[in-house]
Amino acid sequence: MFELFAEMWSFAFMRRAFVATTVLSASVAPVGAFLVLRRLSLAGEAMAHAITPGVVIGFVTAGLSVASLLIGGLIAGVGVAILTAFLARKTILRSDASLASLYLIALAVGIFILSAAGSAVPLKSFLFGSILGIDDASLILVGAVATITLVTFAVLLRPLIVSTCDPVFFEAQTRRPWLIEQAFMLLLVLNLIAAFKTLGTLMAVGLMILPATSARYWSSTITGQLGLGFLIALASCWIGLTLSYLLPETPSGPAIVLTAGGFFIISAVFGPLGFGGRLRRQGRQNTTPIPQTPQKERHQ
Amino acid sequence: MAPVAEIRNIALGHPGLTLFRGLSMDIERGATLAVLGANGAGKSTFIKMLLGLVEPVSGRLTWPDGPPRDIGYLAQMTEFDRRFPLRVRDLAAMGAWKGFGLRGRLDRATRDRVDAALEAAGVLNIADQSLHTLSGGQLQRALFARVIMQDADLILLDEPFAAVDQNTEAHLLSIIDHWRTEGRAVVLVVHDLSSVLDHCSHALLLGAETASFGAVDAVLTPERLVAQNYLSASQAAWMFRPAEPDAAHV
Repeated sequence: MFELFAEMWSFAFMRRAFVATTVLSASVAPVGAFLVLRRLSLAGEAMAHAITPGVVIGFVTAGLSVASLLIGGLIAGVGVAILTAFLARKTILRSDASLASLYLIALAVGIFILSAAGSAVPLKSFLFGSILGIDDASLILVGAVATITLVTFAVLLRPLIVSTCDPVFFEAQTRRPWLIEQAFMLLLVLNLIAAFKTLGTLMAVGLMILPATSARYWSSTITGQLGLGFLIALASCWIGLTLSYLLPETPSGPAIVLTAGGFFIISAVFGPLGFGGRLRRQGRQNTTPIPQTPQKERHQ
Repeated sequence: MAPVAEIRNIALGHPGLTLFRGLSMDIERGATLAVLGANGAGKSTFIKMLLGLVEPVSGRLTWPDGPPRDIGYLAQMTEFDRRFPLRVRDLAAMGAWKGFGLRGRLDRATRDRVDAALEAAGVLNIADQSLHTLSGGQLQRALFARVIMQDADLILLDEPFAAVDQNTEAHLLSIIDHWRTEGRAVVLVVHDLSSVLDHCSHALLLGAETASFGAVDAVLTPERLVAQNYLSASQAAWMFRPAEPDAAHV
């Protein structure tokens, strides 16, 4: 067993993959936690699709480089986020319906350009990423995004908590409540771009949402939610990468997300805030002896 | 002493719809103002105007001592996420979040203030419980603790007794009475003509595109309540009927 791990670790591409996913876990865990808490889990998935046309246009015009990925993805993602907020504020549509409309248009544009560019575009790497082919530039991108994310969270954690828990109270407390929302959406887009190269457009949100939802079943505090979310994301990456090494036909991105899915199922079943806690509470109620009234008193 | 806020000839509304116009009033320190009106009369919009979230259509709102550093605010409970992973003491501490800075732990003085606020609201014994385990009344008490932590001169409460039992209502009213003795101004959206009004010094009745302000007894007359669409004529006649002689003495 040890030899197997030593062999896996001897490959430079595996070492890069472990480093990239470790840093990525630290970055996406807090973003995922607040996506779940802000009830934006599905919006994260939609945003992952919304950056597709930017990335595809970047690829078609400048090749599959980190710069083209970053610029194209940022323009598409931030554009959709701003348009969504604009439609939600100025028209009758709520933000979920606005985002759904815009991401579908963006996704269709992306697929249209992808098809028009023909076989030159590696479709599979767009959908599932290429974590085992990470280059230096991609590692730097992941590191830079993680740094920006963690520093931003250190500064904005309290306003983020207040605005998520009680948005009306937060709106009454600050002159520019939308700044926090937009800063968070920018972090989301940056992290999606960082995860895009490693996990692909279909799997990118998986590493954000599944560890966060799993952690929610165990933790009643925001600190616990953030810390445990990171540990589950990290464990999912390491176990998923190892599985994909041991089973050569297994793509690494889906292996990581499937592992995170395993953690989610375990958490839902055994977590104190999942079915496990419910069953334990019921068990305690059933075994609590019902106080018996002494026979003498009953006849009095 | 200057009032907390001066309102002069204000009209509130939305594009194409005027809720009320011509309101001039002062919100005095130590006053407790009940805001009443039928659904859609503009009660919550009035609160939002004081918070700076809604601009008046015309007229002006001024703060004689400058814009307040903080306004204590309790929104309707329906707008609160009860599943958020926080403890009761974290929710109370949220009232003073702007002064916390970036450091993780709160200092001793702030933690003592949080405990005192929880004690005053009657929830110190459940301070470490998660929000999702609380009853409606317990959550409202915890939200009152947050308002206490805000330590504001002006406190706005939007239907604070909508989902609480009689005991909780009595306790929360005692907190409001205490705020009045401390010289804070409290504006309170009230759902119905209840005993809550006994704790209020002034009333603002909204409806029929007008606003009536004054002492509670002067504003809440049957004629005015009917004229401003708060009660129907028959409801007013029943509610304000002469007291019947006690059957035991007949």
